Amino acid sequence: MLCERCKKNEATVFYKETINGKTKSYSLCAECAAEAEKAGDIETPHMDAFFSSPSIGGIDSLFGSLFSVPHYAKRALSEGNAETKKCSLCGSAFGDLVKRGKVGCPKCYEVFADELDATIREIHGTTTHTGSAPKRFKHDRELKQKIKNLEAELKEAIKDENYERAAEIRDEVKALKEKEEN
Amino acid sequence: MMWYESAGRDNDVAVSSRVRLARNLTDYPFGSLLNDASAKEIIERVKNVFEGVGDYTFTDYSDLEEIERKAAVEKHKVSAEFASSKKPRALIESERKQVYIMTPEEDHIRIQSILAGFSLEEALSRAREADETIDGALNVAYNDKLGYLTHCPTNLGTGMRASVMLFLPALTISGGIRALSAQLGKIGLTIRGMSGEGSSADGCLYQVSNQITLGISEEEIVSKLSKITESIIEKERNLRQKIKSADNGRFEDRVMRSYGVMMYATMIDTNEMMRLYADVRLGAALGIIDGASLSELDKMMVRGMAANLTCENKEIKTPEERDRARAELIRRILSGAE
Repeated sequence: MLCERCKKNEATVFYKETINGKTKSYSLCAECAAEAEKAGDIETPHMDAFFSSPSIGGIDSLFGSLFSVPHYAKRALSEGNAETKKCSLCGSAFGDLVKRGKVGCPKCYEVFADELDATIREIHGTTTHTGSAPKRFKHDRELKQKIKNLEAELKEAIKDENYERAAEIRDEVKALKEKEEN
Repeated sequence: MMWYESAGRDNDVAVSSRVRLARNLTDYPFGSLLNDASAKEIIERVKNVFEGVGDYTFTDYSDLEEIERKAAVEKHKVSAEFASSKKPRALIESERKQVYIMTPEEDHIRIQSILAGFSLEEALSRAREADETIDGALNVAYNDKLGYLTHCPTNLGTGMRASVMLFLPALTISGGIRALSAQLGKIGLTIRGMSGEGSSADGCLYQVSNQITLGISEEEIVSKLSKITESIIEKERNLRQKIKSADNGRFEDRVMRSYGVMMYATMIDTNEMMRLYADVRLGAALGIIDGASLSELDKMMVRGMAANLTCENKEIKTPEERDRARAELIRRILSGAE
């Protein structure tokens, strides 16, 4: 697809915005997107779009120092509609988590996974656990690891044109995946 | 037995080692959102898990007098938050294993193991043993990506905080704590004074612990903290030798004066005790004093704190009586009568 502005370069930035119910979409090349952003026509999300200092008008003082609030959640909070999504176990909205500086219950980590991602990354520099697990998860983890190892082996076998071994591994992976689903 | 009642490895610098694991049950809100009925349910469930396991005993902390709860904080058995909470709560402890399980705290279950000296691996293994007992019986909140789920996101992943309490008089005197603090911050560790900023009046006790709990395994946390602790211990020891040899006997004089006050004073307040503790402990570590062992001094420091002293001497009413009782306790411990 060609950029809809210059109609010369390949479009690499696809932008969609909904304001007051009206949706506009653009397909632009990188150059035109940069120009459009400079002119204020569009606002493209950046990696650093996550605000590190949590300050939302009016409720600043209540914010735990811990929580950085992603810009979309920030907008939702300032428009007062942060109350819409609530955790089914403890009834917290994301705004409650921010106010408290702490998460409401184990379920909140599922419900607000996207909203919490930036904060967790900021604290720990990662969002992936590598330590020990309860027994009921250990089995799953081992199974996953086994599948991962076999898939790597499969790639090697194909690369070496060892199709007999590849077929064997494929069957093994299939069996393990079925086991995983069960 | 408690950490201050035995002598551990490298205890000239490392006073105690602690590992804490935070755990939660899947179906309840976290600590601050927990109502009394749910808190009681959790207590009951955790209590049942440890019934008949080893020498674990159960204490209902809601029934305990304030002074006894404060004394437990001074012994590092429970957190200050747990001691002052208004909610139903209990401590399940094994004296033999030196494992203390608070339920509920900020998290539903907080397992801690505290041992004398530099003993992080052993503390981890003991805390883990209790964790495995819980794991076999209760549904612990965990997700494959974030690990153990906790009230505060700073504890996610392993839910583990490992720490060593270090006695660092030479680093304090030489002004090295600030630089150390900056260095530790860069590698995900933190140091804090046990009672405010590092003047010699606070006993020169510091806690070094891991700050990051996610994306690092339990063993890695222990090994990282151990390596750093070893290098802090070495640095502190070198500085002590320098101080000892550098100031023409003035240092020895200070240690002996403090020892004299400990032996003969009749009234000692907490601040003075901590100051004397630091001087005499350093003197004992350097072989200047041989009448007081390091573990005797640690025992004196804990049992001489306000709440512990009052618990042991129920008749104490005034601060003066407490200072007199403290001086007496110190004398008794130093004379080997305790």
